[in-house]
Amino acid sequence: MDVKKEIKSLLNQAEVYKSQGLVKEAGDKYIRAAKLIQKNAKNIGNHKSLLQSISKQIRLVKESIRKQEEEPADREMSEQVQEIIRTKFAFSQDEKRLEIDGAIALAKFGQYARALDEFKKILGKEDFRLEAAKNIIRCHIARDVPDDAVRQYNNWLSETFLPGEQLGQIHRLLQDILKKKGIDTLLSAPEEIAETEGESSPAETAPGLNENEILDISSVGITIPEAEDRSRTYEYDVSFQSGSIINLLISDRDHSFLKSIKKGTVLEQTQFYSPIAMFEGKSLVVSVSRIESGPKTGHYSVDIQIQSI
Amino acid sequence: MANINLKAREIEVKIVYYGPGRCGKTTNLEQIFKAFRKQVTGQMVSADTEGDRTLYFDFLPMGLGKIKGYEVRVQLYTVPGQVKYASTRKMVLREVDGLVFVADSLEVRREKNMLSLKDLHMNLKDYGLTIFKVPLILQYNKRDLGEQGLPVMPVSLMERDLNRQLKVPSFPASAIKGEGVAPTLKACLKLTLQSLKKQLGW
Repeated sequence: MDVKKEIKSLLNQAEVYKSQGLVKEAGDKYIRAAKLIQKNAKNIGNHKSLLQSISKQIRLVKESIRKQEEEPADREMSEQVQEIIRTKFAFSQDEKRLEIDGAIALAKFGQYARALDEFKKILGKEDFRLEAAKNIIRCHIARDVPDDAVRQYNNWLSETFLPGEQLGQIHRLLQDILKKKGIDTLLSAPEEIAETEGESSPAETAPGLNENEILDISSVGITIPEAEDRSRTYEYDVSFQSGSIINLLISDRDHSFLKSIKKGTVLEQTQFYSPIAMFEGKSLVVSVSRIESGPKTGHYSVDIQIQSI
Repeated sequence: MANINLKAREIEVKIVYYGPGRCGKTTNLEQIFKAFRKQVTGQMVSADTEGDRTLYFDFLPMGLGKIKGYEVRVQLYTVPGQVKYASTRKMVLREVDGLVFVADSLEVRREKNMLSLKDLHMNLKDYGLTIFKVPLILQYNKRDLGEQGLPVMPVSLMERDLNRQLKVPSFPASAIKGEGVAPTLKACLKLTLQSLKKQLGW
């Protein structure tokens, strides 16, 4: 192709890519055009002004790429968007859970201010009070304002709103998060907890793990080193959690995973995902049973116990 | 499976438009919003960035009338295409009933198409679904850009890249002009409703 035509074509492509929002591709075409002009400068009368103009375009493209890369991955959305998240991303089959699931969905989408409002409303409901309170703490931490989490905890501590046992769980949760973040604030423990400090953990808790220190896990990633002759990581949403026991519903199509586990199998590489962080740890398969009735007939219900985080 | 409300006799079907960044997913929904006035039951809601890229999703509710006495409501979503929004894409995909994969016909986006389809495959797998069984339609968008002198892949090459194993219905389109948008949606709804009927034993 004639060089001038080729340059024209490249600049045309760059313009269209830019208009399509394909800024990286636009930048590539501008750079190719500039190189071609430099190489054939002798034959192009206005090469200096052309190069100047292209350099300006390249700068603009780079600026646009930088802005995109620096754009925060989440920001507060309109009430309309938040309402869709709250109502359409709560998937629980249990109607009672829909409200708290909606609030959790808001938090997952980074809508922390609205999520906080929703969790505060749920605090009034006894069945979900502890879960809502824990998530309030997590929202403050996710917003990177641990001071607000501490202030909230201290408010609860000075009130009689949360029962001592639940307050103790919040205390442990927050103290643990602060420690992991390297914040040396020491929280006052509720009286009942302070009195029982040093007592052993409940019997059903895995050795070395305090039941109350376990975060709510939303999903797990389990790596089986020799699944189908290669290392594979299986990810599953948590169906429900009771302390250190996590229940997973596994489709019967997941043959390779189901073949790799049985009661007593130790899953050495387990990743636990909570709404605020991911932890590496170990878990133990405590039961595997086939579901014989209902909409999940044929699936497998697998209980795993967190051994270490 | 679709959300079925026995009391209200309603079926809620979720269709997700998937594909690489800037392939035209949002444009598809905008065209549907214009062209399917009778079926659209609410506003199109977009959660986008300042740079006009989809941040979380676009949402468009539609109504398809009654099937076996059940009101069928369809919710169309798009996912954010940019690589960095992987977790949001996965969240939007949850409980999906039908999919439209929008591929970009521009040659420079060939690899992005393939990576995005692979990403879809992996995300579906994580939800216990297989890309080979979920109702899926491919759309080869931006066919019009060839007229502007841009290198566009022939449909045969896109079929080879993306549909060789899947063998699902595919449609060329120019969403910006509204071309190919309706056939894509109709084909996806048809497949999705067929799959739903099968699941419900109707």
